[in-house]
Amino acid sequence: MALLAFQHDKKLGVADNSARYDLPLHNSAGSGFLLLLVALMSFLAMMTMTGAFAMHGVTSMWSSGLENQATIEIPARMSDGELRDKNELSALRDKLNGFLADQSYIENYEVMSREAVADLVSPWLGDDVNTAELPLPVLISVKLEDSSADILYRIRQNIRKYADDIRLDTHESWLSDILRLAGSLQFSAVIVTLIIGATTVIAIAGAVRSRMAEFRGDIELLHLMGASSTYISSQFQRHSVILSFKGSIIGIITGALALGLFSILSPSGAESLVPALHLGLFEWTILLLIPVAACLIAHITAKITVLRTLSELPL
Amino acid sequence: MIKFEHVGLRYGVGPEVLSDVNFSLEPGSFHFLNGPSGAGKTSLMSLMYLGRKSTRGRVTMFGQSINDMPQEGLAKLRQKIGVVFQEFRLLPHLSAFDNVALPLRIIGTPEREIMSNVNELLEWVGLGDYKQSLPLTLSGGQQQRIAVARAVIARPKLLLADEPTGNLDDEMGFRLMNLFEQLNTMGTTIVIATHSQAIMEKFGHPRMMLGHGHLNIEDPKKNWLQRTMDGVF
Repeated sequence: MALLAFQHDKKLGVADNSARYDLPLHNSAGSGFLLLLVALMSFLAMMTMTGAFAMHGVTSMWSSGLENQATIEIPARMSDGELRDKNELSALRDKLNGFLADQSYIENYEVMSREAVADLVSPWLGDDVNTAELPLPVLISVKLEDSSADILYRIRQNIRKYADDIRLDTHESWLSDILRLAGSLQFSAVIVTLIIGATTVIAIAGAVRSRMAEFRGDIELLHLMGASSTYISSQFQRHSVILSFKGSIIGIITGALALGLFSILSPSGAESLVPALHLGLFEWTILLLIPVAACLIAHITAKITVLRTLSELPL
Repeated sequence: MIKFEHVGLRYGVGPEVLSDVNFSLEPGSFHFLNGPSGAGKTSLMSLMYLGRKSTRGRVTMFGQSINDMPQEGLAKLRQKIGVVFQEFRLLPHLSAFDNVALPLRIIGTPEREIMSNVNELLEWVGLGDYKQSLPLTLSGGQQQRIAVARAVIARPKLLLADEPTGNLDDEMGFRLMNLFEQLNTMGTTIVIATHSQAIMEKFGHPRMMLGHGHLNIEDPKKNWLQRTMDGVF
């Protein structure tokens, strides 16, 4: 105890050489606040970017699953509202079958069984409904080699020769809406990430300016001793980069823990519309670059802020 | 080295504290700056160490006009100037060693060289045992010696000192004056603002007399010669 007290006494009035700054930036009260702010911004950036990656995964899954896919539907009711005769339905199905078999641009096709079609509507009707008597359409799932507008036009023209109300559904109507929504969300994620970056820039610039005001006398002295503006700004740059690096590491570690928790809690499985959160090497590389981006933002912001502020000094 | 032509200085919209100051200092010269309190000594010193710009007239330092010089150019010139401030202006969070090392670090001197030069100078000014001490734990005299050591460590071409011996006992005061003399013989131009008649008389260098914002240069050696000649003839 006495030895500790002696060591403490010995430290009083003695400079701490652990960090070499000409300006006492590391002792400044605002350092902890800036570190926490950068940690929070890094966490938010990580969450936003992960959301964008997940959205990209979902749209890829949906669009690749339906790529070059189309469905031909022979409605159970005719355009005048009358039920179509079962024999007529069968005849139309056979004609289409024959037509599709002859087309070179069709990779394959499958006439869906009545049971399969009944399964599709069962979520809306319930399991206890007898579908045997239901007027169900005939559905033919078609895989095209190429779904260009020309080919789709040719198919439409041909199938209408058999009946006017036979439809070719390329899933465009709902898929394009969903893809547009997903695109908007991805765009929003980019905007949010940019806002996070801009907020970080503003916070660092504000912190640097307040420290410059705090140590104005010391900065003037360095200037009078011949320190160039670059020399003075390098002190702020180093300090800001170190703080941002520490903050962003805290932010992405917290973010990684939150993502781990989210992936445990989120629904998964083949039936889910939303795929399980899975980040590949590319996505992780981008997320791990957040500290690099934070350091770069801190470096450039501190440099520009200090140089601009110093240029406003009279000498 | 330094040339002031019709230089005036005012703070804000107040009266001129320096009016039509004209003088020229040759390289390697040694001058005392003297005058009553409030005469503008510190203001004149601040113009010389490029701490502010004159409000009129032309200031030339090291052969370059500083009136329209950009900041980076001023920084290079300031590296040639050592200053001992009246209030020392040591950085309170830095040790005595780091305060003295500062000018060398600013000009990019290697650490090994800094180590040996700073240690040697601190020993010389009697602060070898206080290298890691913070300025606030040192006496006024000790702080003044650190300020002097910091001003001379980079061997400036021009040394400006505002009352550098004010807080020192006579022995240390004369010791530091001898250091300035030594630097002067090595080519450093020196201007020392002082009220000490004893020091001015002992060392006998020309005096820049400042009064009511105007400056006159008196050389006691020439005056003595003039008086002697007048007596003879």
